[in-house]
Amino acid sequence: MPARPGWGPPLPPPPPRDDIITGVFRAHWMIIPLQIIAVTLVFVALIGPILVMFGFAWLVFMAVAVLFGTFAYALPSWWYGTFGLREDHLLVHTGLVLRSAREIPLSRLQAVDVVQPLLMQVFGMAELRIELAGGDGSAIRLRCLPKNVAERMRAAVLAHAAGLPGRAPQAPEWPFYRLPFPLLLGALTFRVPILVSFILLLMMATAFVVFLEPGVLGAVVPLALGLLRYYWGPLARYTDFYASLSSDGLRLRYGMFQRRMQTVPPGRVQAVRIVEPMLWRALGVARVEATVAGYAGARQGDSADLLPVAPRSTAFTLVNEVFPESEAAVVPLVADRTRSAGAAGVDERLFVSVRGVFCRVTEIVPVERIQTLRLSAGPIARLRGRVTVDVDTPPGPVSARATDREAAEGRRFLDALTEAGRRARVPSAGTERWATRATMHAESTQREHRVEEPEVSPDDTPGK
Amino acid sequence: METSESTPETESEAGSTSVGRPLDAAFAAPEGSSWRRIPPALAWYRRLVTTAACLVAGAGGCVLLLLWDRPLWAGVWVGLALVVAALMWFLAGLFQRSWGYTEASAELYLTYGVLVRQLVVVPYGRMQVVDVTTDLLEQALGIATVRMRTAASTADARVVGLPLADAVQLRDRLAARSESFSTGL
Repeated sequence: MPARPGWGPPLPPPPPRDDIITGVFRAHWMIIPLQIIAVTLVFVALIGPILVMFGFAWLVFMAVAVLFGTFAYALPSWWYGTFGLREDHLLVHTGLVLRSAREIPLSRLQAVDVVQPLLMQVFGMAELRIELAGGDGSAIRLRCLPKNVAERMRAAVLAHAAGLPGRAPQAPEWPFYRLPFPLLLGALTFRVPILVSFILLLMMATAFVVFLEPGVLGAVVPLALGLLRYYWGPLARYTDFYASLSSDGLRLRYGMFQRRMQTVPPGRVQAVRIVEPMLWRALGVARVEATVAGYAGARQGDSADLLPVAPRSTAFTLVNEVFPESEAAVVPLVADRTRSAGAAGVDERLFVSVRGVFCRVTEIVPVERIQTLRLSAGPIARLRGRVTVDVDTPPGPVSARATDREAAEGRRFLDALTEAGRRARVPSAGTERWATRATMHAESTQREHRVEEPEVSPDDTPGK
Repeated sequence: METSESTPETESEAGSTSVGRPLDAAFAAPEGSSWRRIPPALAWYRRLVTTAACLVAGAGGCVLLLLWDRPLWAGVWVGLALVVAALMWFLAGLFQRSWGYTEASAELYLTYGVLVRQLVVVPYGRMQVVDVTTDLLEQALGIATVRMRTAASTADARVVGLPLADAVQLRDRLAARSESFSTGL
């Protein structure tokens, strides 16, 4: 097998026998031994110590029984766990005792990821994840596929979601940003909490060596765990980070022990925030996080980052790519009434808010993605005549709001956002089948220009 | 961008005594419409619920404290429950009067809240689900709640205390408009 097909240049066209859009597929048979080994090992590790008390023969006997039991379950469930494409629907059959068949309209997908954990990389396998908007339980996970099947399935799924025939070749892509490892290492180190933890860790280690006081270790363990989570975690995850743009949306490839390839189709990013921790501002770098409706619950933290570390200008360029026809950096901002750095602004396309004295967070929501708008004033804010405008988006890292506004100013914000949203939410602004929709959209805008009445006004006089 | 140039004069305005007025203006209905208010049945609903809760809590606590042989504390507890019930009785009226909704051309405006005043704008195209619910007490009073779900889970978009017929009509109108304004997620 060639080293890393698919991560590099596109694959040659597959022979018709392996046509991905017809026929039924299942995971590689390798999943059976993997499942058997995993279950047996867990059994031996958990129940083993108890069984050893009855004698070693018992342990061996029970382990063999579990091994065959798992095999008896894994083989038919592997055989019956199939998936395949039917037109632009994906059919997934799972389960042995409780059979389930899901039919997924691919035009509704939110993101497609190909994930390769370390063990899977060794065997040349990959997992395909198709994220839907329904929250945590709604993602489709096709485990343990041969690498090339996963790649071609991903391309076919994206083609169907774009409204093209499934045999359409993978959309061409052009490089956007490659994160150099020294920058990742430097930026991850150069943060106040990490530096403080390192210094504390060093002081503890010195104290332990000098005074031979074992109590110090009690403080070292949580510090080390924290560093593992917030320093080593992102370092390992974002090694070899590479972002590229294509007509299928943003493609991200990253990871050392777990290779991931994420595809976020156009219009799936609901909101974006640019995070600049205090020391990063001196370096001029930032992190870009996004709210995507599919990445709910636990996967939010895994997949929310669009750029882990990037120069500030690159971050804004990415935002402009994600929200086309808009310019986040030129939205006029109005400072709020407190002495902090808070500011917010609206233009035709975007709502931008900036907050945070130390860690500056710039939150950007395109007006056509706003779900609801809220103007609120608590008891203290009412006494001071201040209001807050909240811009609600689907659950995610972004929560944009304009805080501490004068009442009239807050209302103007609300009205401006409502007005801009009304203009932006034309029916052609939907995001399903983006490839064929682009032509539709062009036609409809031409029509609008001719009529010179772009306001949405179907017959909707509220019944009084 | 009209917000940028007019900030200094609003600063000087709000510094004077008329703090309440700009706030009322900020929470006013959109231009060319007025708030449709909720009938007083909502206040009675809230009063009945809060009074019942206070009575149960007061009586239960009173019995427990008497069993524990603390008659003075039992009296204090009952008094406290009555004060809370009276306060809630009074607030229920304010709460009912604070509610209002109006259907603009492309979005639904809601306002409510006594302590935290809110104005919520829900575009019709963003409504994923519109449903009408009424519990037993609401049925007895002949009122219903219209609840709108959007993809954002933070906002609690609902219209409470509408007469049942109005609620059903509102639900039908909103559902029809959410269909005609639909733009996906």
